[in-house]
Amino acid sequence: MIGRVAAYLAAMAAGCGIGIGTALGMAGLLPGSSTLDFGDVDVAGWHSDFAIGSEAADPYTRLRVARHGLLALAKSEAVYFTRSLDDDGAPLRETCRYRIGGGAMPAAWWSVTLYNSDSMLPDNTDNAMSIDAEWAGPGRWAATIQPRRPELIAPTRPAVVNGWISSRNAGTFDLTLRLYAPDAAVLSDPQSVLDPPTVQRVDCEE
Amino acid sequence: MRRWFGPLAVLLVCAAGGHSLTLWLGPAVIMDRAMEALAQRGVALHAFTTPQRITPQTQSVVRSSPDLFYALCRYDLHDPGMTLAVRIAAWPDYQSLSFFDARTDNFATIRAVSKTAAVRLLPPGSAPEEGAIVSPTAKGVILIRRLAPSGEQFDAAVAASADDRCQIAP
Repeated sequence: MIGRVAAYLAAMAAGCGIGIGTALGMAGLLPGSSTLDFGDVDVAGWHSDFAIGSEAADPYTRLRVARHGLLALAKSEAVYFTRSLDDDGAPLRETCRYRIGGGAMPAAWWSVTLYNSDSMLPDNTDNAMSIDAEWAGPGRWAATIQPRRPELIAPTRPAVVNGWISSRNAGTFDLTLRLYAPDAAVLSDPQSVLDPPTVQRVDCEE
Repeated sequence: MRRWFGPLAVLLVCAAGGHSLTLWLGPAVIMDRAMEALAQRGVALHAFTTPQRITPQTQSVVRSSPDLFYALCRYDLHDPGMTLAVRIAAWPDYQSLSFFDARTDNFATIRAVSKTAAVRLLPPGSAPEEGAIVSPTAKGVILIRRLAPSGEQFDAAVAASADDRCQIAP
């Protein structure tokens, strides 16, 4: 009799564990899962789920966003694209140097921000957490992602000062592209109207 | 063999139940904890709290943008007679007033570039009214975002926030 009760208790515990574990796993919340780098919209390696922030989000998206994107706006106000891989498909990491570049984007304002694997700004005091439309201006732009401030050795100040996003203390990280007040076409046909930034790996320290 | 049918059935039922409950309750639990954390960090109930500029040292919500001014107001409209008067002051650049319920849904957003906007928030189940939004849940968070990428712009956004309002209406 005791053995029978123990079998039922063990089945209950195992069942609950499996149920909770599979829910967290399918929502991408188990350790090692990428944060918000998911979704059915893929534009040149940047991923988004336009249901973020809305009641239309499926329960897995809702749980994932609650953990990694709490208080995100619905798509009519802002869309969020995330990528955790460089242009060659390798994970973004602090020990590498990257070149990120692009142009104007179809929104009232945009920014690219670096977050660590806990979806937080990395713990440093470099004051180089993001780049944005105001800094980039209307034309082409380029910036460096690396853990140390880029050295500028030139006899005169260059006409265009490249930007810098610090990856110091970021470990393995991702980038979030925010498009505020996006053009309607971004929502209807993002692949055609959005030319998101490229992220090229320059070199790595081993 | 048949002696294992019962425990196996219990395992499957518990797995399905645990899976569904995690998905159903997870967002609300995370939101509840976030609201508790915000309260502990001084975010007021029924008032906008003037924020610190977002840095790695001051961040309290995942994926906060360092380029934005955020002002938060927690609300609790459990009393059916309560309404909340909300106003966003004018700001020359992008700004929005967004409403999030206890299940993390962004159920309303008002964009108010270069102008003020005001709205009343009503408890769940209220009849729709002109100039009012009905909250799907009694508790939630209201968030003002203002574009303020520099320290000077952030200071100006703080000054503008003196005219923001989030208070129980008579």
